[in-house]
Amino acid sequence: MEFVLQTIANGLLAGALYGLVALGLGLLMGVMKFLNIAHGTFIILGGYLSFWLFNLWGIDPFLSIPLVMIAMFLIGLVFYRLALSPLLKLPDVGMRIDTSMLITFGLIWVLDNAMTMLWTPNVRTILTSYTGETFRFFGARFSFTGLCGVGIAVLVGLALYSVLSRTYFGKHLRAATQDAEAASLCGVNVQRVYLISTGIAIALAGVAGAVIVSSYSISASGGIGWLLIAFVVMVLAGEGNINAIIPAGLVYGLLEAGSVLIFGVPYRQAIALLVFVLVLMFKPQGLFAKRE
Amino acid sequence: MLPDWKRLLVIGLLVLAFMAAPMVIEIGTGSLNLLIMVFIFVILSQSWNIIGGYTGQINLGLAAFFGCGVLVTHFVWKAEMPIYLAVIAGGLSAVVLAGIIGLPTLRLKGAYFAIGTFALAEVCRIVVGNIFERMIEMPGSYAASYSLIPRYYLGLTVAFAAIAVTYFITRSKLGLGMVAVRDSEQAAQVTGVNSFKYKVYALLISAFLAGLGGGVYAFMRLSFHYVTAVFSPIWTFEPLMAAVIGGSGTLIGPVIGSIFLVVLSEIFALTLGEAHLIIFGLLFILVVMYFPYGLVGSVSRIRQIISRVGRGLCETGENCRKGF
Amino acid sequence: MLQISNIDVYYGDIQALWDVSLRIGDGEIVAVLGSNGAGKSTVMKSISGLLKVRAGHIDFGNIRLDGLPAHHIVELGISMVPEGRRIFPQMSVLENLEVGASTNAARKTRQNTLEWIYEFFTPLKLRAKQKAGTLSGGEQQMLAIGRALMSVPKVLLIDEMSLGLSPIVVQELSGVIQGINKLRKLAVLLVEQDIELALSMASRGYIMENGRIVDQGDAKLMLCNPRIKETYLGIGAEEKAG
Ligand SMILES: Nc1ncnc2c1ncn2[C@@H]1O[C@H](COP(=O)(O)OP(=O)(O)OP(=O)(O)O)[C@@H](O)[C@H]1O
Ligand SMILES: [Mg+2]
Repeated sequence: MEFVLQTIANGLLAGALYGLVALGLGLLMGVMKFLNIAHGTFIILGGYLSFWLFNLWGIDPFLSIPLVMIAMFLIGLVFYRLALSPLLKLPDVGMRIDTSMLITFGLIWVLDNAMTMLWTPNVRTILTSYTGETFRFFGARFSFTGLCGVGIAVLVGLALYSVLSRTYFGKHLRAATQDAEAASLCGVNVQRVYLISTGIAIALAGVAGAVIVSSYSISASGGIGWLLIAFVVMVLAGEGNINAIIPAGLVYGLLEAGSVLIFGVPYRQAIALLVFVLVLMFKPQGLFAKRE
Repeated sequence: MLPDWKRLLVIGLLVLAFMAAPMVIEIGTGSLNLLIMVFIFVILSQSWNIIGGYTGQINLGLAAFFGCGVLVTHFVWKAEMPIYLAVIAGGLSAVVLAGIIGLPTLRLKGAYFAIGTFALAEVCRIVVGNIFERMIEMPGSYAASYSLIPRYYLGLTVAFAAIAVTYFITRSKLGLGMVAVRDSEQAAQVTGVNSFKYKVYALLISAFLAGLGGGVYAFMRLSFHYVTAVFSPIWTFEPLMAAVIGGSGTLIGPVIGSIFLVVLSEIFALTLGEAHLIIFGLLFILVVMYFPYGLVGSVSRIRQIISRVGRGLCETGENCRKGF
Repeated sequence: MLQISNIDVYYGDIQALWDVSLRIGDGEIVAVLGSNGAGKSTVMKSISGLLKVRAGHIDFGNIRLDGLPAHHIVELGISMVPEGRRIFPQMSVLENLEVGASTNAARKTRQNTLEWIYEFFTPLKLRAKQKAGTLSGGEQQMLAIGRALMSVPKVLLIDEMSLGLSPIVVQELSGVIQGINKLRKLAVLLVEQDIELALSMASRGYIMENGRIVDQGDAKLMLCNPRIKETYLGIGAEEKAG
């Protein structure tokens, strides 16, 4: 019983993080129709930034999140200018998705190897004074860093949702995605809106990386694993359904926990991925799609 | 375009030259290894080309077919089956795997097919990693009689077979169907009922080739410290790169891309170390963005611009397509 | 106020407009007529900045418009209702209108503008929360016009307002446009297939054929001149009789 509760607790902690991991990918793909395969790699980059801020200047990983976000936001701007903005010329959205997939795929190569060269292939993690501290609720242990991760995930998810639905910027972004030409006729500067959104998406990847390096660990080539998780969560949420991403992350975390209980730890990810492919096939609009 | 008989002659001469080469001149171990890797890359990138280049389905699960071919060939060969049968068994096992992976995922469209195949290949990697916890290797007797020459000939044969298969497919009704699937999906038209059939055939053939490629690799490398390494996404990504850089959706694009990638990475690896992979990544991005027809396509385009009559190198010029 | 002088416009390498000149005065309604493919929409897109002008120029007061990006031109006070409406189907009616008020100036007066637009187009007020994609054709056209008006333009370009709408709805919409034109001194450039409608609303008309302006004049005179319809617009005498 103890074990079951603990597994579910772990699933929830991991699940919130999974949701956080998927937010940036969901924003780029679901809203802007750019498929960023290098998303996981940007997450790792964010993790490294957080790691070095802690190691060199001793800045607490949770306090340094704003700094990481700003740095990643700027990186996102460069990324958009160089790699994504030329794709707006492509005649249709399908080609935009395919080509952005290939370009960011090349980017993985560049960034992965650059990070390996800069920071060695070693696994890195942040050890603070509170690492390993836990709380007990209902017979299960929750780690302090994990709980912080949950808090951040929920906070960031809500913030993104309200930016998209409430602000002028969010409305411009959605309008531009539905019909870029019509949006520009309304006075929307489509290029600038896309530029800033890409910055936000990459900043979100940075937050995820910072949380990961404080509760788990990162390595230069670990991006692909996180990319896959981000994909899964995005598909479970339903493409474009930003506000369902954090819940979908929790579902995926619990799914993993369930497969640990039934099949044991080694098959944790395999089972969850299988379920994902089934969802992809039979409910491609996602688990959280609203019926119209 | 060259007339068919001339083209056959050129290819025949090339085959002969490759066949004779190890007998006529002394090729060092390093160069032989390099050539065998080129062959394996030709096989794999041609495999990717059939499903990704001609049919337009971006398959990110190639590594699973390759890995499956490696494992099955390894064990069948260990069971004292002749190597050429073992390699074929590897190819067939990949076809079976493609049936299991492909039939469901081929119903997915565009990027989702890519994601689905990627996820399933990862599932394969994890499962295999759990089953084979220790390294696998051939008995010592195999290592004692090890020579690179037979590996060279096997690789050569399979590589030319892969090119030939691609050639005949593109000239058949099946090839036309595949290209039609790709173009109609790109134009977002409603596709006919048969598009699924063409996708399945393309995937099965592609998987067969990838499995054969795995077989050649199993023949070349007798032991595998980490079995999961042959299921690593690298085995998807590098052939994909070779195909796209060379020019996917063309016959010789992947061949040129493979030579380019393998040989250059050898040269760069010596002089630049890790940095050479960064250069490849950048090169790949540039090709996708500015030379959507790959090296081959841009050569033929430049030629066309120069002469306007352009007997394009780009084999099936009309098939060159943006991105793939 | 808005002056197009001798423009040539291309789609890629294909020329679509030759030496087109056109003028819209303050508070004036001007109609551009022509058969399918004559280049009417191309003129509209050139003004609003969606297409580049290769030769000639477009001036708005003393500001040169050609070469400016589309969103900048909206800011200067020229707003377009594109062919086929192009509303944002996944957003609510209100959100569509809000996006219409994207420019800095328009944002400040947004609430005000919204009120008078709702007065003219009451169905929009009733359906403010509804997804725009679920509106009827007539309501979508109202929304498209309303959205364009949200930026408080001085010139409104309307491309094929009547397309696919019932005569009653067209009557209603054209009444509203004439009303706004009078009340708010809004200049309007109308592109229409429905010649009678356009000429009856407009004070002047231009006729296009194969990418060129082939005739122009007073709308009332053109309306009475049967030759115009026959020669330029492909409408035979028998059709008129029927
Ligand atoms: N995107 C485009 N690419 C290439 N040619 C185009 C494009 N859009 C229009 N054209 C061509 O430009 C010419 C003028 O087209 P335009 O849309 O301006 O005509 P129109 O007068 O608005 O016709 P309609 O009444 O059917 O709307 C046509 O010959 C058309 O084929
Ligand atoms: Mg038109």
